[in-house]
Amino acid sequence: MPSPAVLAQLRKIVGLDALLDRPEDLMLYEYDGGVRKCTPAAVVFPQETRQVAQIMKLAGSAGFPIVARGAGTGLSGGAIAPEGGVVIAFARMNRILEVDAGNMRAVVQPGVVNQQLSDSVAHLGLYFAPDPSSQKACTIGGNVAENSGGPHTLAYGVTVNHVTGLTVVMPSGEILRFGGKAAECTGYDLTGFLVGSEGTIGIVTEITVRLLRRPEHIATLLGIFETIDDGAKTVSAITAAGITPAALEMLDGWTLRAVEAACHAGYPLDAGAVLLIELEGLAEQVEEQAEAVREVCFQQKAREVRRAKDENERGLLWKGRKNAFAALGRLAPSYYSQDGVVPRTKIPAVLQFIEGISQKYGLRIGNIFHAGDGNLHPLILFDPRDPHQLELVQAAGAEILERCVEMGGSITGEHGVGLEKRNLMPLLFTDDDLDVMLSLHNAFNAAAVLNPGKLFPTTRMCRETSGPSTNPVLQAEGM
Amino acid sequence: MSATGVSLDVARELRSICGHDNVAERPVGGVYVCPGSTEEVAEVLAFANEHHLSIGPAGGSTERSAAELRTDIVLHTNRLTEVEHYDHGDLTVGIGAGATVAQLNLMVGADRLLFAGDPPMPDRCTVGGLLATAVYGPLRHGYGAVRDYCIGVRFVTGDGRRGKGGGRVVKNVAGYDLMKLLIGSYGTLAVITSASFKLFPSPRQTKTFLAEFATANEALQFRDRILRSPLSPVCLELVSPGARKLMRPEMTSDTWVMCVRAAGSDAVLTRYQKELGSVITRELEGDSEQRMWRAIQNFGYAGDGRDDAGAPELIYLSVWPREVPDVVDTLLKQSALSGVDVSLIGRVGVGLLLVRVADKEAGTAAIHKLIVVLERVFGDKITLKLRGAVNPWPIPPTNLASMRAIKQALDPNNTLRGRNIF
Repeated sequence: MPSPAVLAQLRKIVGLDALLDRPEDLMLYEYDGGVRKCTPAAVVFPQETRQVAQIMKLAGSAGFPIVARGAGTGLSGGAIAPEGGVVIAFARMNRILEVDAGNMRAVVQPGVVNQQLSDSVAHLGLYFAPDPSSQKACTIGGNVAENSGGPHTLAYGVTVNHVTGLTVVMPSGEILRFGGKAAECTGYDLTGFLVGSEGTIGIVTEITVRLLRRPEHIATLLGIFETIDDGAKTVSAITAAGITPAALEMLDGWTLRAVEAACHAGYPLDAGAVLLIELEGLAEQVEEQAEAVREVCFQQKAREVRRAKDENERGLLWKGRKNAFAALGRLAPSYYSQDGVVPRTKIPAVLQFIEGISQKYGLRIGNIFHAGDGNLHPLILFDPRDPHQLELVQAAGAEILERCVEMGGSITGEHGVGLEKRNLMPLLFTDDDLDVMLSLHNAFNAAAVLNPGKLFPTTRMCRETSGPSTNPVLQAEGM
Repeated sequence: MSATGVSLDVARELRSICGHDNVAERPVGGVYVCPGSTEEVAEVLAFANEHHLSIGPAGGSTERSAAELRTDIVLHTNRLTEVEHYDHGDLTVGIGAGATVAQLNLMVGADRLLFAGDPPMPDRCTVGGLLATAVYGPLRHGYGAVRDYCIGVRFVTGDGRRGKGGGRVVKNVAGYDLMKLLIGSYGTLAVITSASFKLFPSPRQTKTFLAEFATANEALQFRDRILRSPLSPVCLELVSPGARKLMRPEMTSDTWVMCVRAAGSDAVLTRYQKELGSVITRELEGDSEQRMWRAIQNFGYAGDGRDDAGAPELIYLSVWPREVPDVVDTLLKQSALSGVDVSLIGRVGVGLLLVRVADKEAGTAAIHKLIVVLERVFGDKITLKLRGAVNPWPIPPTNLASMRAIKQALDPNNTLRGRNIF
């Protein structure tokens, strides 16, 4: 816990109006989009990179942990501070520093909201491709930390595929620049390594991103199926037909009814599942693909395939998809969102498994997910006021992720490991694998000043057979 | 003799790990070893660490430096060719680092899928080598870099630990992205033993449109027109007159050629024709199209009968796209000043140029002179790599301290010292 003297130093660095330490203010920073909570000791709002470096140096010398935070929309607890930790919130570093249309790049501060960047370059016919469902609120800094995805990353790739350079404050307080505007870097790809490192290697204060040209033509289709199995089988059938849609999303019948009630997106109320399929590109190509997708859907027993007639209808269909998580909030006090991935041919089998888990635990589970890349988001509804329910929910979630890994998949496709899934890491990685990652962590953040307790399992690795762990990452629990 | 002064029969020890037939003593000194599994690679590295021996990992040796061949042990990946997973419905494949790119493409091509890596000399270039050097070909324009479609990697660190990054699904953010760290690290951190990739549907048909221009500048204006259009070609390549002569010695034309490769149905190809307009002088399909792209893919590498390894006469330049005209102009001026013939091709849509100095004798000195000029004029607007050099980055990376920290974490004894990057 930073002492009053340290808090005074922090105020001196960021300014009197840029530090919060009253309990009623700190409450707003004790959670993210997930289910974990911890109140930080203070929240600071730096306005420039130099201040972040000063905070980092102070944290090192005074010995308090720090955690970077964007909009707090993350779903894995990545932005939650440990006990006595200080949150560096980037709400005041939210400027687009440069738009370089000629080189298809923009340089932004981490607090820039994802959607805001695309909006600000729309008049140039450009956009930023990663589009998490929370894009109206989430920040590019958060996207970089978690290597965020979104529906359209099926065709265009996740955040790391769209970042070419970073300015980073390292745990030592040093300010470094990795990469730049060029497509290829000199030396090791430190930009690629930093993206998705969940704020455990350095704090990013400037980001150079790649912008894409908006396609000339878009077709948005809604494939309507009687059963979830038919919808699921259609996903790999579309891929097998040689078509890579820009986005291929699935909602099960129960979820889409909840979404329809909240959003009035025009989804059918009596379907078993729908696929939201978007095709982009040259008009001729899009029209051919739209026809081919229709055929595939009907071959896979689609009841109907609708097509958005105009931008308004398209917007409605996407509104339903992007607000689905919130819509489910009408049905239960809370939900727990999972982020498992399976090879796309395994989607039918994993959805059957999830249905079994729902029955086994007596929990309502909705499915709304990025079907095209096998990235599931089972939403488990529950009441957090009942501690027993939370335990059940977490056990059900873990069982689903275990099954995803058994099928050749992963425990997280875009939300990150954070606090939530750190103890599931051994499902994917051996002690040796984790040891290699830990040695890289310790090469930069050995004292675990930065975002301790995240990403690495707290369950002791096999090597450490007795006594407390000497590893600062493993010691940093306390939340 | 080991560094401890105890007489050590390296070949005999390695034979006990990898089998008698998989170790050979080299006439120039040192030992070749071909491990048959990741476990054996780990044992070889552990042995080398214990005895302070150096290791140079080798694949098809299409990008190797002479120094890699001077290490105590040259570790060949040629026996690591196992297919770990392949389901064409998932559009993913996992394969041993020693498989060649051509083998991989043959396998997935049978299912009408495409592996987007198209390095020079794909019959020799291995998957591991492709990753270690981050080398690319003309498909780099349309499909991105190998960092964009490598989804998992298995490796043994310099100090002999087995590790893994990513997995076998196309979307995965669990743990550090070690693919990014190892891709382009030139085997200085770890020996890659296998990797998984995202595949793409193979285009049903392609057509290549050629446009000729008197100057590079006019050709690059045409590039800008394409980049502003709705077209998204799979390849967009600029070929200098000199490069054209190298690839097609019978050609004597002095024009710059822009090659636009489109994929799609007849209707899509007709649209390309319409958008590109009257500037198109030729259209290529079928065998002649394949031949042309193979020549571009192998530019500066195979074809002249010599052993390509080791000659640092090819620069891989990455330039801010807007700066390409000025960079080309500078290269041409330097060529005229020095009298050394410079030819180039490039994936100019994304700012990538391959620059070849034709005069082999004058090559090394001329290249270094060019690099000095480029660095002075363009600063951070360019990055570059030298093929086959002991240090592939003649302009030192700005983050050597961070790179050293990573090297220290994964290869503390500097066992992997085939390249001298620090």
